[in-house]
Amino acid sequence: MKLASYRPIALVLARELLITGLLLFGVSLVVFTILYLAPGDPFSLLLEGQMPTEEARAGIREAMGVPKAWYAQYLSWLGHMLRGDFGTSVRTGLPVLAETLRVGFNTLVLTLGSMLVTLLIAVPIALYAAVRGTNWLSWPLTMLAYLVSALPVFWLGYIVLYVFMHKFGLFPLAFGFASSQKLSWLYFLLPVLVLGVGSGTISEVVRYLREEMGRVMEEDYIRTARAKGASVWRHAFKEGFLIPVTEIIAAKIPFILGGAVIVEQVFNWPGMGRMAWQAAQDRDFPVIMGIAILAAVFVRCGTLLQRVVYVAVNPRASKE
Amino acid sequence: MKKYSQKPGEISEFSDLPFWKKADGVDLAYVGYGLLIVTLVVASYLLGMFKLLPHDPEEISLELLMAPAGTPGYLLGTDFMGRDILTRLILGIQAYFLPGLLAIAIALLFGTLLGVLAGYRGGWVDTAITYFTNLVDSFPRMVLILLVVAAFKPDIYYIMLVVGITNVPVVASLIKGKIQFLRQKSFIEAAIALGLPTKTIIWKHILWHNCKALLIIQATIGMGEAILMETSLSYLGFGVQEPTPSWGNMVQAGSNYFMQGKFWPSTAPALAILFTILGFHLLGDGLNNILEGKRNK
Repeated sequence: MKLASYRPIALVLARELLITGLLLFGVSLVVFTILYLAPGDPFSLLLEGQMPTEEARAGIREAMGVPKAWYAQYLSWLGHMLRGDFGTSVRTGLPVLAETLRVGFNTLVLTLGSMLVTLLIAVPIALYAAVRGTNWLSWPLTMLAYLVSALPVFWLGYIVLYVFMHKFGLFPLAFGFASSQKLSWLYFLLPVLVLGVGSGTISEVVRYLREEMGRVMEEDYIRTARAKGASVWRHAFKEGFLIPVTEIIAAKIPFILGGAVIVEQVFNWPGMGRMAWQAAQDRDFPVIMGIAILAAVFVRCGTLLQRVVYVAVNPRASKE
Repeated sequence: MKKYSQKPGEISEFSDLPFWKKADGVDLAYVGYGLLIVTLVVASYLLGMFKLLPHDPEEISLELLMAPAGTPGYLLGTDFMGRDILTRLILGIQAYFLPGLLAIAIALLFGTLLGVLAGYRGGWVDTAITYFTNLVDSFPRMVLILLVVAAFKPDIYYIMLVVGITNVPVVASLIKGKIQFLRQKSFIEAAIALGLPTKTIIWKHILWHNCKALLIIQATIGMGEAILMETSLSYLGFGVQEPTPSWGNMVQAGSNYFMQGKFWPSTAPALAILFTILGFHLLGDGLNNILEGKRNK
C-alpha cells in the first residue's frame, strides 16, 4: 500500500479513539452511579463492625479523607483509576488491577479461542448456504447451528466433563484437567471448545453471514466477475466476508465474555468471569468495578479494530 | 449489530396474496413450531398460576428417588429428592415468564422511543442517542448483571431490568433504520404535505402500519434471551433459589449427580430450555422472513 492509502485509516483511528475515550468516560460514570446508589456503600460495610454509631462513622470518614459529595467521590475515584490504581480487593486485600490483568489474560485466551471455534463451525455453513441456497445439506446444517445455539452452555459443559472423566479418566483440577501429562493440552482446549460451540452465537453468525454473502452474490460486480471468468470468491471476499465477519465478531465480544463467566465456573478456569462471580457473591465492589471497566475496554478495542478493518477495506467510509 | 436493510418495491410488497401463501414452507414450519412452544409456555404458566399441577412441587417421596421418565404417575420421572420433574418444569415457567415480559416491555418501550427520536429528529438528538446505545453496548450484559447483583440484591426483577435496558439499543437501531427508510417513501411525504400532525404520522403511519411486525419479532427474541439469562443466573446462584423451581436451578441441582451417571434430572430441564429457546428463535426468524420480506434464497 502507498502511504496515501494509510491516511483514511489514521483519520478514522484518531476519531474512533476520541469516541472510545468518551464512551469509556461514560462507562466509568455508569459503574460509579450503580455503586453509588447501592444500599450500604462498601466503606460503611467495613466500618459497621468497628464503629457502631452514625456519628462515629461520620468522624472517621473525614479523618480518613473520604469525601462526602458524589462528584468529589467520583473524581477522586476516576483520578486514582487513571493513575492505574483500581483499589484493593475487599476480600483478599490484593490490588485489583494487577489481579484482574493476571486472570484477564486467561479470559482473553478463552474468548479469542472460542471465537475461533465458533467461526470455524459457522463460516463454512454460512458460505455453503449462501452459495448453494437451501438444500438437503445446508438446511440440516443450519438447523444444527440453531439447535446448538439454544443449548444451555453449562449443561454442555457438564456433559463434556462427564465424558472426559469417565471415558478418558481425566480429572478436573484447579486449571482444567491435569492428571495426565500427555493430554495436558486438553485443559486449554476443552473449555474453549465448549464455549465456542455453546455460547449461542453460532446461529447468529450463520444467519448474518449468509444474509450478507447472499446479498453480495447478487451484486452486479459479481455478475461481471463471473462473466469475465474471474474468481468470484476473490471479488466477494471483502464485502461479503471480511466486513460481515469483523462486524459480527466485534458485536459478539460482549456476548462471549458473558458466556465465559459460566464456562469458567463449570471448568474452574481462573479467569475474569470467575473473579466477577466471586466478587458479586462477596459484594467485593472494587473488584467488580475493575472488571466491568476492563471488560468495557476490551469490548471497545474490538469495535475499534472492526472500524479500522472497515475503513481499510472501504476508504470512502472515512468521510462519513 | 443488526442493520436494517430493505429493497424498495419488492414483489411481496404489492401482491394481494395473504402472507401464508407468499411465504416459504420452511418459514411457515419455523413459525408453526414457535407458536406451538409459545402456546405450551403460556398454557403451562396458567396451569402453574392456578395450581393445576400433577403433584405438589415440594412433595418428597423417598421411595422414588431419581425415577426414570415414564414411571407411572410421574411422567418425566423424579429428581434427587423424589420430587416430580414435570410439576417442577411447569412451575419453573413462573420464574421467567413475568420478569421476561418486563424485560420485553422495557426494551420495546424505550427502544421505540429512542428509535423514533433518532430517526425522525436526527441532528444532535440522533448523536446523543447513538452515544447512549454505544455506551450500553460497551458492557457485556453478564458483567453488568453481576455488578447490579453485587450492588443491590440478587433479584430476578433487577436482572430483567438490566436485560431490558441492554436490549434497548437493538430495538432503537432497528426502528431508526426503518424510519429512515420510510421517510423516503411517497406516502410519508404525502402525509407531511397534507399537513397531518407529526403525532399521527409517527403513531399511525410509521409505528402501527409499518413497525408492528418488527416489534413482535423483537419481543419474541427478547423472550428467548430472558429465558437464557434467567437460567444462566439461576445456575450461577443469583437467580431463583431452591426449593422454588426454575429451569436453571434444576439443571444446577441435578448436575451434582452427573458424575454418578444420573443424567435425567439435569437433562430434562436442559431439554426444556433447549426446545423453548429454539422455539422463540425460530419464531422470530420465521416471522422476520415472512413479514419483513427478507428471504434467504
